[in-house]
Amino acid sequence: MSNDVPTATLVKDGKVPGDVPPRPGARSKHKRRLANYLINKGLQLRYVVRVLVLSALIAGALGWMIYQQEHQASEDLVAGLADLTQKDEGLADFEQKIAEDLRARDRTLVLEMAGLGVSLVLILSLYLVFMTHKVAGPLFKVSHYFDDMAAGRIGPVTSLRKGDMLQDFFASFRESHDAVRKRLTVDADAMQRLVDAARAAGVTSGTAAGDEIEALAKHVERRRQALR
Amino acid sequence: MSTSDPHHGNPGGAKPAAPAAPRGYKRSWKNLLINKRYQLRFTLFMVGVSALLISGLGWLVMGKADDATNVAIGRIRGESCPELPDVASSANQAAPAPAPTLAPTPTPAGSGDDGGRRVQIDESSLTLRPVTPNDYSERVAARWACELDQAARIRELTAGRMRILYVLVATGVLLVLGLVIYGIVLTHRVAGPLFKVGLYLTKMRDGRYDKVYDLRKGDQLIDFYEHFKSAHAGVVGLERSDVERLRGVLAAADKADLASKSPEVAAALTELRGILARKEKSLE
Repeated sequence: MSNDVPTATLVKDGKVPGDVPPRPGARSKHKRRLANYLINKGLQLRYVVRVLVLSALIAGALGWMIYQQEHQASEDLVAGLADLTQKDEGLADFEQKIAEDLRARDRTLVLEMAGLGVSLVLILSLYLVFMTHKVAGPLFKVSHYFDDMAAGRIGPVTSLRKGDMLQDFFASFRESHDAVRKRLTVDADAMQRLVDAARAAGVTSGTAAGDEIEALAKHVERRRQALR
Repeated sequence: MSTSDPHHGNPGGAKPAAPAAPRGYKRSWKNLLINKRYQLRFTLFMVGVSALLISGLGWLVMGKADDATNVAIGRIRGESCPELPDVASSANQAAPAPAPTLAPTPTPAGSGDDGGRRVQIDESSLTLRPVTPNDYSERVAARWACELDQAARIRELTAGRMRILYVLVATGVLLVLGLVIYGIVLTHRVAGPLFKVGLYLTKMRDGRYDKVYDLRKGDQLIDFYEHFKSAHAGVVGLERSDVERLRGVLAAADKADLASKSPEVAAALTELRGILARKEKSLE
């Protein structure tokens, strides 16, 4: 599969409505939008199509059985009626009428079942899209954070939305992300302490040690920006 | 997902091995349920929908089958079988009815013909005994054969209805079982990569940045996993840049004997040496 998670090109102006935290600063509280329910088409549609095909097969096979049984009953009725009316020609019209009525009922049954099948497909599709969205959403969000990490940005992580699935996985990701962020912050603080102490001790640029200290200061500054 | 669960240490080969270890991992039935909550929720939904469909439509099928069976049975019952020959209508009511197998008795002398119906006169008691027609046994046999045939057809119809019920129940049970297995295998291909990423995340949390291996064949979330690999590489890049910077600073500090400048500088250098050692170890 090559389309599990949307690539970063889907991110417009640093955010995708309802899902991606804006940067910098804290994100606002996002809500689900109908337009964004198909976040990960490959993953979501695969599951939706499989369940739909299965449901269509079950409904089709059983619908066919229902029609067969109904049709059989109608034919038996018509045949029974024919037996009764063959002795009385005056009842031939009545028999025709009943037979036509039964055929009409069979046709109505087919239409009713087709309508039921279409309704089922629609309702099930919508429900499955909503349901798979709850998995695709967290995956999309985490993959966005992964992109940030790949770019050397380890900013704060916000929670998933209410109702999202994969909460355990997200908690594990957040715990790791926060641990890495905290460790890098502590390290940057330690480096900053050396820079401050060296400057306080009169170590200035122009010497090899002084240049290294200044380079370290810039490194710490860049790191602090990455950790915002 | 319980990424720290020791029982899930190798979910179908998801555990990252030592760098030199062979990577020919295979799926195992024991490890199919990696992320129970996610996998069972999706699987049970699929199974639930199918079970509801089968139950609802099966109920309709059985309703129609009942109708068809009842109509067919009614039609069979409506079919008229040959009438039994009337042998007693004009005979003495006290006369015993003849056995169906009784052969036609020849009319003795003194017997009369009553409009086609023959009787036998018992002279001692002066009673009339009806004499059965010539085709009496054939007609009785035809009557009972017809009734037996009707009963057999009704039994066949009832059995046919039961067959439909059994087929429905068996199909439902097989389908549910098949769907449970299929659903778990399907979701396993999503849960597996998540579990694997979870293991690497746990290592990252503990400050270990091992090599990240590829997913197994057939796994899903390949793009998601690529995002993770990039993230891992990004964090490793940050650590490497720290290591390089610290090595340069510490080497220059040693050369210039910066530790002697002030106790604060000495303490900061000692702390950074510890950090450098830790970072170097995490990248091994």
